[in-house]
Amino acid sequence: MSALTIDDLKEILRAAAGEDESVGLDGDIAETPFTDLGYDSLALLETAAVISRRYGVTLTDDLFDDIATPQALLDEVNSVLSAAA
Amino acid sequence: MSTRQDQHTERPERPEDTERPGRPRGVALLFPGQGAQQPRMAVGLYRADPSFAARVDRVLALWGAEGRAIRRDWLSDAPRIPLDDLRRAQPLLFAVDWALGRTVLDWGVRPDALLGHSVGEVAAAVLAGVLTLEDAAALMADRVRHLAAAPPGGMLAVAAPVAELEPLLGPDVVVGAVNGPRQVVLAGAEAPLAATEAELRRRGLSCRRARTVSAFHSPVVARAAALSLSALQTTLLRPPHLPLHSGYTAGLLTDDQAVDPTFWAGQPAAPVLFGPALDRLLTAGPLLLVEAGPAQGLTMLAKRHPAVASGRSAAVAMLPARPADGDAEPDAVRAVWRALAEQGRLQGLSSTIPAAAASVGGSTGTRGAP
Repeated sequence: MSALTIDDLKEILRAAAGEDESVGLDGDIAETPFTDLGYDSLALLETAAVISRRYGVTLTDDLFDDIATPQALLDEVNSVLSAAA
Repeated sequence: MSTRQDQHTERPERPEDTERPGRPRGVALLFPGQGAQQPRMAVGLYRADPSFAARVDRVLALWGAEGRAIRRDWLSDAPRIPLDDLRRAQPLLFAVDWALGRTVLDWGVRPDALLGHSVGEVAAAVLAGVLTLEDAAALMADRVRHLAAAPPGGMLAVAAPVAELEPLLGPDVVVGAVNGPRQVVLAGAEAPLAATEAELRRRGLSCRRARTVSAFHSPVVARAAALSLSALQTTLLRPPHLPLHSGYTAGLLTDDQAVDPTFWAGQPAAPVLFGPALDRLLTAGPLLLVEAGPAQGLTMLAKRHPAVASGRSAAVAMLPARPADGDAEPDAVRAVWRALAEQGRLQGLSSTIPAAAASVGGSTGTRGAP
């Protein structure tokens, strides 16, 4: 499985928000805190669920206690993916 | 509720919903409720801003010895009663919400809308003049006393639309809050809620327990909530002098609704339709939303609304997403002050801007027009 890119993650974040909601994810958001992007704990759980389904990785529910930005999430997911490869 | 939800889903495109550059945004204050409480929330601001501290202390003093116990637990790293207990969460949320909202009003801002979530609606009602701070504090104490004796329960946030969840709810589990198109909070006694949670997880739905040991906004607390009616019937309730929106009616409160004791007594057991209420506000025109309370939960909900995501409306919060000592909390308040100044809502105070900003505003005693 190839590594997750920031564009992949943006698409996943949009999918997790659902079509009734809309989010401002344009531009460089890698270091923007999820809270500033409007992603609360439930929206982040949904984001993790989408990643788990698409990439076949298991992400724990307390993942986001330490992960505050898209870049940190990318790093975490990619380290899990490379460990599984 | 289904009717309101339908309105929410349709998002009617009214003429005024289209973007008009230069059109001034209105100001709406949002007040969070149960679930938004955080350890040491607003303590950094309490330490840094004497005027905010005075407002919080004024509320706590109304609860006498219990108010002192609440303050000790709030400021303590090892509270005797945990913050998530409603005897701490409810009064502290009320005090912090009200004190922050009062701060904005004391800057001279006359908001175009007030909207609270759950107990936040009581803070909004005080600022709108429906009941005095003293009467609201008495209501909170009475309500907390009764609710603390209610059967235990829980609440579960689920990332799914109401329509998808309703057929999956077990007996004795209800929709306690609709926070957004895919943000629903279920409520019920522990055993039935756990059974429903297991079923929802089996279906792959994302679930998260809310920080509460009570099944707010469900029939579990209905009897306890109704016990506040007799005290409310002897409380003077006045029509709001600011536009007071309700998370229970998902719209602007009428004078008749605002002065109805049964409306206020029923709130802890009634479903919160915050998402539909916010949607109606944002659909009516461009707004600067100001969250007057901890945790930025309502701000984050608002940021996923198309009106805010598109930049037509904006959302700012008076406290950080997580509590912080040092400058973070006063800085957040200053940023809101600047955002309001940029909207031209502090025009009457131009000569006091530097002083007010330096002291987190409000402590200069300046109010309203010069």
